[in-house]
Amino acid sequence: MDATDIQILIVGSAGDGTIAAGNILRQALAEAGYKVISFDVYPPEIRGFGKCIARMRATIAQAYSLKQQSDVMLSLDDSHAIPHVGEVRDWGAVLYESKPVANAPQGHITGHIRPGQIPYGCAIREISEKATGANRSRNIVALGYLAGLYGLPREAFHAIIDRQFKKRGAEVASVNRKAFDEGYAAGAGAFKLDDVAFGPPQPNVAPGTVVEMINGNAAVVKGCLDAGIDCFFGYPITPATTIMERLATEMPRHGKRLVQTEDEISAISATIGAGFAGTRSATATSGPGLSLMQEMLGLGTMAEVPSVVFVSQRGGPSTGMPTKTEQSDLNSALFGGHGDAPRIVMAPTNVEGCYRCAGKAFEMAEAYQTPVIVLLDLYLSNRYETVAFGQKSPFEPDVNKRPRKQDLGAGYKRFALVEGGVSPRAVPGDAGGMHIVTGLEHNEMGRPADSAEMHLAMCDKRLDKLKGALVHPDFTVTKRFGAMGKAAVGLLAWGSTFGECLEAMFQAEKEGIDCAAMKVVMLSPFPEEAVSAFMDDCAAVLVPELNHDGQFARLVQGTLGRKVVKLTRVPGVPMRVSDILGEIRRLAGRNLPQAAE
Amino acid sequence: MSERHHVIVGMGITGNEAAITLRRREPQSRITIVTLASLLFYNRYDLPQVFRGKHDWREFLVHPPAFYDDNRITVRRNSRVSNVDPLNKVMTLEHKEDIPYDTLLVATGGRGWIPEELAEFRPLMQGFGSFEQAITVARALPEGGGRVVMLGGDMIGLDLARTLIDTGHRVTLVAGEQTFWPHQVPAERRPAFVAALEAMGVEVVEQDSVGGVAQIAQGAKGLPARRVVFRDGSELMADVVMPFYGIQPAIDFMGRTGVDVERGLLVNPELRTTDGSIWAAGDVCQIWSQEENRYRFYYGWRNVRAMGEVAAGNMTGGNDAFVADQDEKLEIDAEGRLVSPFWEYA
Ligand SMILES: Cc1cc2nc3c(=O)[nH]c(=O)nc-3n(C[C@H](O)[C@H](O)[C@H](O)COP(=O)(O)OP(=O)(O)OC[C@H]3O[C@@H](n4cnc5c(N)ncnc54)[C@H](O)[C@@H]3O)c2cc1C
Repeated sequence: MDATDIQILIVGSAGDGTIAAGNILRQALAEAGYKVISFDVYPPEIRGFGKCIARMRATIAQAYSLKQQSDVMLSLDDSHAIPHVGEVRDWGAVLYESKPVANAPQGHITGHIRPGQIPYGCAIREISEKATGANRSRNIVALGYLAGLYGLPREAFHAIIDRQFKKRGAEVASVNRKAFDEGYAAGAGAFKLDDVAFGPPQPNVAPGTVVEMINGNAAVVKGCLDAGIDCFFGYPITPATTIMERLATEMPRHGKRLVQTEDEISAISATIGAGFAGTRSATATSGPGLSLMQEMLGLGTMAEVPSVVFVSQRGGPSTGMPTKTEQSDLNSALFGGHGDAPRIVMAPTNVEGCYRCAGKAFEMAEAYQTPVIVLLDLYLSNRYETVAFGQKSPFEPDVNKRPRKQDLGAGYKRFALVEGGVSPRAVPGDAGGMHIVTGLEHNEMGRPADSAEMHLAMCDKRLDKLKGALVHPDFTVTKRFGAMGKAAVGLLAWGSTFGECLEAMFQAEKEGIDCAAMKVVMLSPFPEEAVSAFMDDCAAVLVPELNHDGQFARLVQGTLGRKVVKLTRVPGVPMRVSDILGEIRRLAGRNLPQAAE
Repeated sequence: MSERHHVIVGMGITGNEAAITLRRREPQSRITIVTLASLLFYNRYDLPQVFRGKHDWREFLVHPPAFYDDNRITVRRNSRVSNVDPLNKVMTLEHKEDIPYDTLLVATGGRGWIPEELAEFRPLMQGFGSFEQAITVARALPEGGGRVVMLGGDMIGLDLARTLIDTGHRVTLVAGEQTFWPHQVPAERRPAFVAALEAMGVEVVEQDSVGGVAQIAQGAKGLPARRVVFRDGSELMADVVMPFYGIQPAIDFMGRTGVDVERGLLVNPELRTTDGSIWAAGDVCQIWSQEENRYRFYYGWRNVRAMGEVAAGNMTGGNDAFVADQDEKLEIDAEGRLVSPFWEYA
């Protein structure tokens, strides 16, 4: 391989330190200067049960998704790792415990390693016990072995291990450093037979930027903080919980408020209340929570109060599959609740997008006086990527904190029917800004009014004002990639699946297929013109998404009245690039065999 | 009824040939090969090519990986057999896994033998039994040409010596009794063979003339990595010191089986041991020779491959005797070069 493009898979049981090892490794790779994209899978069960997987791809060129096949697998528990051995490509490596205390029910992993793969046995437990007097550091020994085998810079790991373990005392950090070093020596001494090679990294940090290894939820938090969030109200739910957890640590440091409410209805109610009071406020939830929030979101629309709701989707309906990813809450986000209740719905496609959408959501909520839903999913929430952040916040500060007209004057109309639909907004305390706000349909003053004319005018206003979001400054509503003119196949996608679409597009291009891709970040209001223009260029339009019904495909077809080809999957894990590629080939009239990635 | 499980310990030429024969004769049965190696079966005879720049082990593979998948041959690499329980027909791997078998073929070959007085210097010597070892030697030799001291010398070592000299390295052979192993060279012909070696470019030091090796040490700073000190006080500098004293059958794990053992596993001409379910073939076994009225080893790639085939045939209902088909004579051709049937594998 000329350019580094290496995917590592660590598989263990909950309690083996699989995710912790993955965490150290991806940070070390990022700090060494590789671009990293990473996604962990873990079970809902408590410690001691269930399978944990950390997957990470380190590249020099930008990558957009994980690969289907890994180059290296590290097993910390054979019974969980054995079903994944097949994920390792030929001439790739499988690292395992060579002296297990007991064997997996399926036998030892050497019985499952395929002839084309290279086995590396390491006496992980023995080394850990020798180095530390206990076997708790097995994960760190194994990590050291891997790092030694591939000649990764030891110092980067030391620094991260020190950081990671220092909370538990200097002794714990030093023991783990020792465990790492012993593993490293064993790996460096092993005869390397696989063809996995890390090329020199390119720490191409643009001036004025800082590269961070960060996941989608952490990027949301960073976006919230950089946008100057004032209040957060939330109720924990996988996979959104870590947004609240992080904010709970960060917000008090910035003098901001976070309240864990008794449920999601309270959370959204408080968020809207705080928005009404003129603060930047948000909540975060998942599909079940969004269902509970629907009535209050309607109030937000009706009362024209800014609020931001982060929704990280998981497998549904009902409790569904809490630790599996899915994109099946699009309908709920767009159309949930009663009445004609338009709102802004946006979906980032990568971790950097999570940051941008989070910050922009506050701007837009204020600018268009409406609830804004930012749709993530478990894959994006938990996916780590290296992102270069500027040192200054790119977001507009809260309008309420900017100097503003103090006296709104006599005859103030909170819901004035003005050009563009965005009425002058008053927050409590603004002189002359007295008005009525309820959930009832109202006239320009906010007084209950249910005449047909007024209802129509207000419905128009609440819908029309959102159009501004399509031209909101510095916001990517849609973006096109690949062939710029006519294309045989166009991929139209939203959310986390777009990364897989891009990878599929690159492979299709290599096969000589004219292929283009468009990501649609703004889902409501729908960017009809841009999508329509894209579809004009494409002989066939494929819409891959992780839900059963093709919710986005239906949105496109319903809005534009044009046909698209659906590609829906609900496996609970990211879509396979090969599935998308297979469809591209079929649509391009190529009946090529399914190539391994 | 469950399929029969044939287990082969060893993935050298013998084990590999046996697996292929087993599959041909029994398309349905389970076949497992267990090997210490990390690599699939590759041609060890070609290892000297490492010094001609062939460094990608994949070029040494005799079959591509898919061959084993296609033939449903399970290969357990990095796995050491530590015990065999013939009563329950179960073999145990060092990592504490039991593997039941219906028939077992032991084809573990041998490992390089080192005289006792040299054992303490093992860490300072380089073996040449595997790809990994060959590469390690190649890496230890300076590019413009290095110096190798070979202790003992056998036909494997001498084959390597030919290539080393050809590729610009200097080879000094400390010759002794084993120098032409496994050929039995009559004393009166020895000088002629030694002369042929010298004609090849090998510098020969007769072990008797220097009194044998007294010590192998690290070379001093700025000098080659090794120093070989002889009993008479003379010394040789070398980048690499390599022992070649023939091989010793690898049968330690068979200790508790109760099968008959001399130096190797004893088998009848059909290659069956004294246990009805266990066969042995290749460098690991001594075969009963009717003509010589004794158990004896048969070396050479053609012999061991034939043994693999015969054993597999008999494990699947055949009853053929092994017939040696490799000439054992060492000769000197018209141009004064050594000619060994051992080397005729190209
Ligand atoms: C470098 C080299 C060059 C050679 N050149 C020639 C030549 O030119 N001409 C020639 O005729 N012969 C040559 N030979 C000798 C020839 O290779 C042997 O006769 C032949 O390899 C013997 O084959 P085998 O299958 O019996 O055993 P081997 O090839 O020795 O294979 C033994 C197998 O058993 C496995 N094993 C051993 N112990 C265990 C255990 N406890 N558990 C699990 N697995 C075990 C090993 O990992 C290996 O896979 C050469 C040998 C070497 C090393």
